[in-house]
Amino acid sequence: MSAQIPFFTTLFAVAAVFFLWSCYLRFSLVLLGKPDDRFSNFSRRFANMLLYAFGQKRVVTRSYPFGLNHSVFFWCFLILLIANTEFLLHGLFPGYISLSHLPEGLYFALALVFDIVSFVALLAVVIALSRRWFYPPEYIDARSVDAFVILGLVATLMLAFFGMHGSEIALGSEGAAAFMPVSNFVGSFILAGAPVNMLVAMVTVFFWIHAVTLLLFLDYLPYSKHMHILTAIPNCFFRSIEKINTQLPEEFKKGNSYGVGQVDQFRWKDLFDSMSCTECGRCSDNCPATLTGKALNPRLLIHDIKMNLLHNGKLLKSGRAPDLPLIGGLKEGSIADDVLWACTTCGACMEVCPVFIEHVPKIVYMRRHQVEMKAKFPEELLTLFDNMENRSNPWGIIPAERGRWTSETVAPLFEKDKTEFLFFVGCAGAFDTRNKRNTLAITRILDKGGVSWGALGKDEQCCGDSLRRLGNEFVFAQMAKQNVKAFKDMGVRKVITQCPHCYNTLKNDYRQFGGELEVLHYTELALQLVESGKLAFKNKAELGKVVFHDSCYLGRYNSIYKTPRELIELATGHSPLEMERAFERSFCCGAGGGRMWMEESAGNRVNLERVKEALKRQPDTICVCCPYCVTMMEDGLMDLKVSDQVKVLELSEIIETALK
Amino acid sequence: MLIITCIKQVPDTTQVKIDAVTGTLIREGVPSIINPFDAHALEESLRLKDEYGFKVVAISMGPPSAEMTLRRALALGADDVILLSDRAFGGADTLATSMLLSEAIKRLSVHEEIAMVICGKQTIDGDTAQVGPGIATRLKYTQLTSVDRIENIDIQSRRITVRCKFEGRYEILESSLPAMIAVLREINRPRYPTVPMRMMSQEAVIKTWDNKIMRLNENTVGLKGSATAVKRIFSPDRAMGQILGGDEISNPDDAARMLIDKLVSKNLLSLQ
Amino acid sequence: MNEKKKIRKPLGVARLIEGKCILCGARCQSICPKHVVTMTEQGEPVIDISLCTGCKKCITICPSQALEIYFTSEQEKILEQIARDQQETLLHEEEPEALEKPRGHDEYRGVWVFVEQINEEAAPVSWELLSVGSVLAKQLDVELCAIVIGEKVEQLCHLAFTYGADKAYLMDDPIFRYYRTEPYFKALCYLSKKYKPEIMLIGATGVGRDLAGAVATELNTGLTADCTGLAVDNERRLLMQTRPAFGGNIMATITTERSWPQMATVRPHTMHMHERDTSRQGEIVNEKLDMYEEEIATKVIEIIERKQSGEVDITAADYIISGGRGLQSADNFRLLKELADELGGVVACSRSAVDAGWMPSEHQVGQTGKTVRPKIYVACGISGAIQHLVGMQNSDILSQGKLKP
Repeated sequence: MSAQIPFFTTLFAVAAVFFLWSCYLRFSLVLLGKPDDRFSNFSRRFANMLLYAFGQKRVVTRSYPFGLNHSVFFWCFLILLIANTEFLLHGLFPGYISLSHLPEGLYFALALVFDIVSFVALLAVVIALSRRWFYPPEYIDARSVDAFVILGLVATLMLAFFGMHGSEIALGSEGAAAFMPVSNFVGSFILAGAPVNMLVAMVTVFFWIHAVTLLLFLDYLPYSKHMHILTAIPNCFFRSIEKINTQLPEEFKKGNSYGVGQVDQFRWKDLFDSMSCTECGRCSDNCPATLTGKALNPRLLIHDIKMNLLHNGKLLKSGRAPDLPLIGGLKEGSIADDVLWACTTCGACMEVCPVFIEHVPKIVYMRRHQVEMKAKFPEELLTLFDNMENRSNPWGIIPAERGRWTSETVAPLFEKDKTEFLFFVGCAGAFDTRNKRNTLAITRILDKGGVSWGALGKDEQCCGDSLRRLGNEFVFAQMAKQNVKAFKDMGVRKVITQCPHCYNTLKNDYRQFGGELEVLHYTELALQLVESGKLAFKNKAELGKVVFHDSCYLGRYNSIYKTPRELIELATGHSPLEMERAFERSFCCGAGGGRMWMEESAGNRVNLERVKEALKRQPDTICVCCPYCVTMMEDGLMDLKVSDQVKVLELSEIIETALK
Repeated sequence: MLIITCIKQVPDTTQVKIDAVTGTLIREGVPSIINPFDAHALEESLRLKDEYGFKVVAISMGPPSAEMTLRRALALGADDVILLSDRAFGGADTLATSMLLSEAIKRLSVHEEIAMVICGKQTIDGDTAQVGPGIATRLKYTQLTSVDRIENIDIQSRRITVRCKFEGRYEILESSLPAMIAVLREINRPRYPTVPMRMMSQEAVIKTWDNKIMRLNENTVGLKGSATAVKRIFSPDRAMGQILGGDEISNPDDAARMLIDKLVSKNLLSLQ
Repeated sequence: MNEKKKIRKPLGVARLIEGKCILCGARCQSICPKHVVTMTEQGEPVIDISLCTGCKKCITICPSQALEIYFTSEQEKILEQIARDQQETLLHEEEPEALEKPRGHDEYRGVWVFVEQINEEAAPVSWELLSVGSVLAKQLDVELCAIVIGEKVEQLCHLAFTYGADKAYLMDDPIFRYYRTEPYFKALCYLSKKYKPEIMLIGATGVGRDLAGAVATELNTGLTADCTGLAVDNERRLLMQTRPAFGGNIMATITTERSWPQMATVRPHTMHMHERDTSRQGEIVNEKLDMYEEEIATKVIEIIERKQSGEVDITAADYIISGGRGLQSADNFRLLKELADELGGVVACSRSAVDAGWMPSEHQVGQTGKTVRPKIYVACGISGAIQHLVGMQNSDILSQGKLKP
């Protein structure tokens, strides 16, 4: 073997330098991104990393049973990392480093573990290969060359491992033979009786196969989706500590550029995200846009960001302009306009991503660029933007009409230092005839519960949710500042909202603008009132079978899942039926992210998809918790011509019935 | 070559209501906006700027607060803006307004040739549609009103082709420059300002021309230069909606007949 | 005692009555001789009472009676003082000069109506104007004249007589084949300068408003647009012109007092058309304009009947028949089309109808469709969701029909 050392050393050196160079080329591109604080709160980050990366929590739970296969790979990989390090070091310094130098007990134990783990890995490869070949999942490019190359390399590595150790065992030169069942099987049965010189040659051949494969694997990594082997673990470390239910504000200053229109305008973590994508396709498999045939596919979006970065990286590094546009081009590595506008910001993609890629903020930042720098957006939004700016509501209805959601009673106005809760009615609750019913129902719940509340009447302004999600940050920031100031001037501390979008905006977005509010969704308050005995359900609402639809901005954005369900149970006597996709996996109604104000001409309608899913449970009532959902679900029922048989009720209406 | 676009800041009249009891105007919180027709005039000017490379100057007559409207014009891409504001200009009717605007345009034409003056067909507060023709007459420009499409401009030969929309017909007219063009809302869809342009416009200093600069005879502008006088203002009688064919009529034919009778009696429909 | 004689009777100061100002455009500020009126950002006057002389000019000029005179507490005191010294003769400040009261101009007499025509056929509004014009002329005791300009249009003069005209000024020339501002405007100015009418009425059509604006400017006289009511003040020979303003939210009565003719454009369909009196005859005055085709810059390239152009523009339609999900099939839209054709209107729809493929998307009204402002909007089988309502809320008259399946 000693004659091979210089050769092996050279090979190793070349491969290592190449690997490091490749890594440098790629990861240095990440540094093109803008600053982003992803190091604070180290202990929590570290815990996240352990749970999600080493625990493979999302991988396993979100894609059973194949997620398990992945965690097998992951753990085999980690263990064999030790084995292969030993292999490489042994190759470089055969006289000095070897497992056999360890104390016998440890040596045997490791030998046993490596042998078994290698076999398990081989099995996992077989499973993965057969799945990809025989039952390819629809949502990913399952039969990609990349996947087969990697699986092939892993299989070759394992086979070479057994070949080498088997030959050694047959030669009798392996001390731990008794502890290596698989290699022993190879050595004692398959290679039994082989001529010695052939066995000696086989050891060498398998050694070289193993060595070359290993180094090939190493060098191939940075160029494949398996780069995630290097990036996934740190990406779990860098994940956002807070739930991603808002986007970062802009600084409006002369000379600044807004949003992301060029790949280096992303923050570095966004770029790192693009390199961490495992292309597993879970995001696309849960995306309402992708599933209804829209241009958006979150996996491809992240892929395009990566490709754009790789394509333009060199130019950007040398301070030159990129030659592949990030937005609007037709080639791979460029994102079409339609893609950006198809997103409902429902957050399903981020909920399932095993490596915590943050899709929605990226989309919003790119929308910002289109709106704020290019003024280029779907035509329908022009009306919306003007209405919001001039009349502070999406429909452009006269602001003086806002206080007129009630004719039967005069709604109390919020009084400084007297009223406890501000009831923030929201545009839909104030202007839309259908949703005014919920507004009234909520006021009755509040009155029955003896809550001290008041509204702002015609002085209420829109919260600006749609503007922010649509990327019109400039106007949103103006509205947010105005609202925060108005709340402060009026001494508002506690707010009840009807609409989950107002809820999220007041609670999470306004913090960036100095809003210090305790924001409650009316369902939260209602349940508190019940628990404290202030509100009692005298009757049961007879609504037949009730199926519940989670609102994205209540559920995924703010983790309110149980409260509405408990209220339904209290009000009707039965817990609601659940759709196939519920709780964290709930499917959007199609109106979020400003989609409410846009045409939906491509593919199927999101609301129809969701209504059909609800109808599978044969409900009498679909209970929703958001004015947008009310509109979308009712529309869907009408389109399917079943609005006579199935009703859509906002939860407040159900509670109100039970209170009567 | 210049395109002058005349814009006016108006109260958002759709938000103005009359108090049925007191007969007074409720316009609390009624914001001022750019006259919607003028927004289309500005857009058309900017579109022609993009296509032919004209320079666009927006002018407006109004109180100092009308600056807002001109800032919007800057944010959208106007090259220059001028506010005509003076105590003496107040209370002007269309005759006095067109006088002042045309004098301002004459001042601008000293330095650069004017290709077109583009106005909105009318304002939403006055609804007169007279200022455009007034300017054209005073400046002796070609007058083209109710334009819903500018088909072609031949700068070399100073000719322009437009499509005008009149009752029941379109007319394709070809005429010479300089021209005053009064546009309809249908002509285009106004663009949206980018944020850097907005920020620029907010900091810009708005040129204001008062009568010290204009030096016009005070009897020809403002209230004194106006030929018309408003004598009285009152609220129109506007009836509430009515449900025809409610309980008392079960037959749709009767309901339809009632509706037709109503419409005919209000002169909204004629049966021939 | 002599000292007291010098006390001037205070005239009070002007103030704004809350909520009455209509933001007419700073008339009060403009007329104030002492420059004591400033305007707020909103456009309401603020009066500096320390300098106001109580001349009442602003009060007279205010179109909405939003200003009034009141006495400050100091002035009240002086008034009381004066009251106490009632016996004393008081020095009267001369009354503020009253606005000169015009009584018409002797040179200008007669009511004129411009007869708008296309292809030798008169626009109906012309006959409506002759009808109302004959009433006005009778009251003023003057002639009613029709102005007929065109090519081969003499028969329109005879028609005009049957609608009440006493005289017709006719300009018949090939240059008037089609309406173009330049020759028509020159012709009307020429006639007006020569024959001096005191009232001139023109239909508030696209052509009428194009022409009137130019003529009034050239004649340097007042023009009131789009009137819906006309009357005369006999004594002062003033035409009282009533028209909607502020998007129809208020009505204003407007006069032209110091220049002639008093010009108005009148909204079609607002004046009652009299029965024709076919026995009526009148005098035709032929006039000729010194103008040649070569001098006219504007050329009519083409005239396209809107119906034949195939273009559907629901945003500019006066009558809209709109259908929604309730119509249940594309076939039923044919019924709407029939009605629309009958009315000279167009068919529109809600989004559901577009989604269902019953109508193309350029017919869609609503938040993501088009905003329409027709005179009549008939909604059939439309539930009236807010997304649709915002697209048609500015219609003059709405009619909604529920459909029984």
